[in-house]
Amino acid sequence: MDLLNLAWKNLWRNRRRTLITLSALCFSLMLIQGSHNLSHGVYSSMIDSGVRAGSGHLVVYQQDYLATRDEKLSFAPRDLSAEIGRIAGVQSVLPRIYLPGLAQSSRESRGILLTGVDPVVEKAVNPFLKRLPADEWLSSDDGREAILGSLLLKELKLKLGNKFVVTMQHRSGELVSEMFRVHGVVQTGIKGIDKTLLMVGRERAAALVGMDGEIHELALMLTDQTADNSVRPQLNALLQGRSDIRGYSWEEAMPNLYNAIRLDYASSNFIFIIMLLIVTIGVINTLLMSVMERFREFGVILAVGASAMRLRLLIIIEALLLGLVSMVFGTLLGSLLTWYLVAKGIDMRNFVSESLEFGGVVFDPIMRAAWDPLWMVKISFYLLLLALLAAIYPSIKAGKISPAAAMRHY
Amino acid sequence: MALIELKTVSKIYTLGSQEVIAVKDFSLQLEKGEFCVLAGPSGSGKTTLLNLIGCLDQPSAGEVWLEGRNVATVPAKELAAIRLNKIGFIFQSYNLIPVLTAAENAEFTLMLQGMDKKVRREKVRRWFVDLGLEGLEERKPSDLSGGQQQRVAIARAMASDPAVILADEPTANLDSQTSEELLAVMQRLNEERGATFVFSSHDPLVIAHGKRVVRLVDGHLESDQCVS
Ligand SMILES: Nc1ncnc2c1ncn2[C@@H]1O[C@H](COP(=O)(O)OP(=O)(O)OP(=O)(O)O)[C@@H](O)[C@H]1O
Ligand SMILES: [Mg+2]
Repeated sequence: MDLLNLAWKNLWRNRRRTLITLSALCFSLMLIQGSHNLSHGVYSSMIDSGVRAGSGHLVVYQQDYLATRDEKLSFAPRDLSAEIGRIAGVQSVLPRIYLPGLAQSSRESRGILLTGVDPVVEKAVNPFLKRLPADEWLSSDDGREAILGSLLLKELKLKLGNKFVVTMQHRSGELVSEMFRVHGVVQTGIKGIDKTLLMVGRERAAALVGMDGEIHELALMLTDQTADNSVRPQLNALLQGRSDIRGYSWEEAMPNLYNAIRLDYASSNFIFIIMLLIVTIGVINTLLMSVMERFREFGVILAVGASAMRLRLLIIIEALLLGLVSMVFGTLLGSLLTWYLVAKGIDMRNFVSESLEFGGVVFDPIMRAAWDPLWMVKISFYLLLLALLAAIYPSIKAGKISPAAAMRHY
Repeated sequence: MALIELKTVSKIYTLGSQEVIAVKDFSLQLEKGEFCVLAGPSGSGKTTLLNLIGCLDQPSAGEVWLEGRNVATVPAKELAAIRLNKIGFIFQSYNLIPVLTAAENAEFTLMLQGMDKKVRREKVRRWFVDLGLEGLEERKPSDLSGGQQQRVAIARAMASDPAVILADEPTANLDSQTSEELLAVMQRLNEERGATFVFSSHDPLVIAHGKRVVRLVDGHLESDQCVS
């Protein structure tokens, strides 16, 4: 305890130097925590819109569907939707059909991906459909109403209410055609989707190709992302009796998004490591200088009977205090920054005009942070650890002081 | 058994290719309760000798015995403990830890010994009274005069009840009046409490206070006289 007292006092004997070192530590911790929380927030919302527009938090496919996207690999959900819907943590269950085909207007034709959905559940979940006026949305499972991607509409030179024909391959091998009417338009901001999206009622789509009662995808929306852990095993249990289908997490189902996020985390972690290394070198410098300045004093301390171990401990405690103070104040500053970034966010529209696409997902132009308290605590402990590591060399140096020489030369 | 015994001790420093013989074949016995001054001109080896006695340095040849123990056989780790418990040190200047108060400085060795805070506070308080340092407990060393600083160093040395107190030119930075006062304090502690002092000086006025005067010239023992 007395060593602690001495260490604390020593820390403040060169007030300015200590403050400079402390602010370097605090500010880097603040920046690291703030920018991590910002990415965390952006990615969380990206994952959220990604899973909402895409295949959900968890998804059920026919065994080989994910690898081949072959429209023949469908499955009959039977009462699976209802059973899954009863699992706690599952918000909604969305059966979907995906069929490649050709859309023809009187003037143009384009390749499309016909998506058959259950209008009621789909509308509640998909963020792109939220902006669609209610009267433009599909009114039934088996009607002739169709929602088109904005670019597709333009390329087919169609307008709301126009009719067009969709041709695709029936299960039997024949080509079949069906007439639809443009009922609504969606713009996701992702070219690939806006150019090919054609959304119709699921039953109509199934009937068209002769796969009544079957679907390609059963997407699960959870109440929140963390419910994954509890829902996954229950889902697997439900699927146990059925060898034809399998459950996947969003990471498996949307590897593009997942990998893009992982890559970005990895590169920001790399920057964090470099930042921490630089401040660690600063800490080493401060501690070493303070040791060098006190050679004579350390000589006296050793002469009157302190062991080299105690002296080393003193230096380490000084570093520990430096680390603790910056851990606390840095986290405080990091929390302030995060709080600002949560409340206000950064409006990217000031910097880029186009909509922002990342890993196949469009994200909100206002980047908002989200709290990741566990990570903040973890990184602040890393900082403490680094401060302690920085003390190793200076403390060894102090422990090697020979009192006789120290008092003669300093 | 002598308290301290130096048996033909030599200390040779090598500076590059040059050898400096700081102490040469020096023998000395010190008994409990002595008030001994190591006298000699600058460079005669006083500091070197005190460092050898205080286990701060190892002799190049010969042996240093402390309370019947050959210091050379003591493991390095235990040397710190010997210095802590058996030896008190007073240096010429900058004896004290600048960030600690006078009382904390005086308590420092007791703290190292692991003495309870209250007990050592009280002990140091009594030493401060004895040494005329009352009221200066909370002062930082920089706010004390040179004589006061040296008395705090004496308090620190005395507080841990060492077998011997080694003082390397304790009065070198003091004026003659303050030097006299400091020596009077040391003398009183020697007489009243039987504290053993070995101190060095090249100042005849200071040397005159020694009850035993060991004269050094070029690292040799020149004379060893008891003054009654
Ligand atoms: N570390 C060292 N390296 C080389 N030579 C040294 C070293 N320490 C002391 N000496 C030499 O040993 C001799 C004795 O030095 P010492 O410091 O013991 O003398 P001193 O009597 O204490 O002198 P002063 O009164 O000036 O303090 C001197 O010639 C000094 O130059
Ligand atoms: Mg000297």
